[in-house]
Amino acid sequence: MSDTPAFRELVGEDLTAEEAERLGRVHDLLVAAGPPPELPPHLQEPVEPEKARDNVSFLPRRRAGLLLGIAAAIALTAFLGGFISGERHGSPFNEVASVPMHGTTATSNASAVIHVGKLDSAGNWPLKVDVKNLPALPKGQYYEMFLSRGADARAASCGTFRSAGDTEGLRLNAPYSLRGVTGWVVTLERPGSGKHPVVLTT
Amino acid sequence: MPVVAADECSDGELITRSADGDRDAFEVLYRRYARPVFGLALRRLGDRGRAEDAVQETFASIWRAARSYKPERGPGAPWLYAVARNAITDRGRARAEPPTEAPEQASSEPGPAERVESSWVAWRVHRALEGLSPNERTVIELAYWSGLSQSEIAEFLNIPLGTVKTRTRAALHRLSGLLEEELG
Repeated sequence: MSDTPAFRELVGEDLTAEEAERLGRVHDLLVAAGPPPELPPHLQEPVEPEKARDNVSFLPRRRAGLLLGIAAAIALTAFLGGFISGERHGSPFNEVASVPMHGTTATSNASAVIHVGKLDSAGNWPLKVDVKNLPALPKGQYYEMFLSRGADARAASCGTFRSAGDTEGLRLNAPYSLRGVTGWVVTLERPGSGKHPVVLTT
Repeated sequence: MPVVAADECSDGELITRSADGDRDAFEVLYRRYARPVFGLALRRLGDRGRAEDAVQETFASIWRAARSYKPERGPGAPWLYAVARNAITDRGRARAEPPTEAPEQASSEPGPAERVESSWVAWRVHRALEGLSPNERTVIELAYWSGLSQSEIAEFLNIPLGTVKTRTRAALHRLSGLLEEELG
């Protein structure tokens, strides 16, 4: 099954030959170009050019902040491990870090916060996710959250869910080491489709 | 003499105004080209962190080198592409590559000329997408790169199917104009 849209389905049948030829060329260029990437939040606004001129390598990088946050969470967990494990068993969720997510072009109003819980003795990082403004999906479709490592945005699945606008306290899980993690994404999944559009990203 | 708003300027005019220290012009240039630069960097470097650095370096280079742009030699897009390519190449060189042995068989991957051609097409198309309204861009991105049908897009965006079709067709028309401008 091809995920390339059928040109005639997009533009209809009531085009002149010249118009069809012109729009057909645009269609071919779009298919050849592939999707543009989503800019991370810290690149949404241009840097101050004077600062950029002399100081590029020292510009703030949100990614570095994310990595530091995760590293700090790991360190904190190691440090507090004995203390937390000594707490009473009924404690529902011991948050060690939270990571904000933002929408992409198709979901620009959507956002989420991933609350990362304490690593359990079996090696699970429990995740509690609060989602805002993510559209409800037709039957059979669902969202899936992944850990990203470098260029591999969907390196490891953390679970699937459905949403109806705002959804709080979704329980997902990352049974992986968080070392080397560069972010998280949420994709829209459709059975039979080879495409995995990103709808939320860190 | 009336001053033309930066939004209405051609890429070449924006580069020229940036050379004179016009920050508004530089910002408009950034909004038009940040995603194409990031896309090019991701293709070349294959690493988000280094691609993000390359975006910042590219725009620092544009600000710094804007005076070297000569409008009489051609439109702004190819000049910007060359600056971006150089900044990305520099960022690529910054990584210490381990020595590798020459492969015994010819690679089936595209050669340098094909890669340059496909990078330029993507650059041109991604730049043109920035010229669409947000509504038009959304339906195009969902139709082409999310695998959604027109009726699924309508459902996902909670708008009538007719609106999706109208926006898609209008967006393709607008892109045809924008890509013609890019081609000169």
